[in-house]
Amino acid sequence: MVAAVATCCLLALFGAAAMCVYRIARGPRAVDRAVAFDTLSAVIIGMICVLCVLWGSPLYFDAVWILTLVGFIGSAAIAKYLAQGRIF
Amino acid sequence: MAGAVSLFANLVVAALMLAGTFFMVVTGIGLIRFPDVYTRMHAAGKAGTLGIALLILAPTVYFVTTDVSVSVRGVLAIVFQFLTTPGATYLLAHASYATSQPTHERTELDELEAFLPTYPSDEFGEE
Repeated sequence: MVAAVATCCLLALFGAAAMCVYRIARGPRAVDRAVAFDTLSAVIIGMICVLCVLWGSPLYFDAVWILTLVGFIGSAAIAKYLAQGRIF
Repeated sequence: MAGAVSLFANLVVAALMLAGTFFMVVTGIGLIRFPDVYTRMHAAGKAGTLGIALLILAPTVYFVTTDVSVSVRGVLAIVFQFLTTPGATYLLAHASYATSQPTHERTELDELEAFLPTYPSDEFGEE
């Protein structure tokens, strides 16, 4: 039962990722793309969690907490660059 | 007895995954449908906190009987996510306002006008 639900969730998460990619490709300005990129990284972290359950293996779970720890740095750097024209 | 506990745990895991996926999909729809960057950011906040917390809780519950270290790392991941994501969202919102991103035409009130300096806007927000 869990495997079937995990497969369905994985397909739906692919749909959500596709919507984020659509906004990255289409987004009229750089800030829209940055927001969509931030969301895309969250969706990918969720995909890794669902894959852990689907495969019944915690092998890739380290990637989850490392990504939550460092994933925001890209968004923060892009935002600072957009606001100030430089990062540091 | 163990079978009943396992069935209950599986139900909880399935419900957590479905709820998290629901918020992710809602965020994707919001990213496509909302008209300006501030409303899109409102939608993106749902995935960044609530959706990802529910999806991380799913393996945290699933492995709690077999491998407790996974559960510890899962709680750690949720704490990290809740510490870091609001900072990035704040920086993005500040960047959008500072570069005078256009709001939707039905926006009626801009309460930040008197407080934040804005710069002339171009594609990359440089002066």
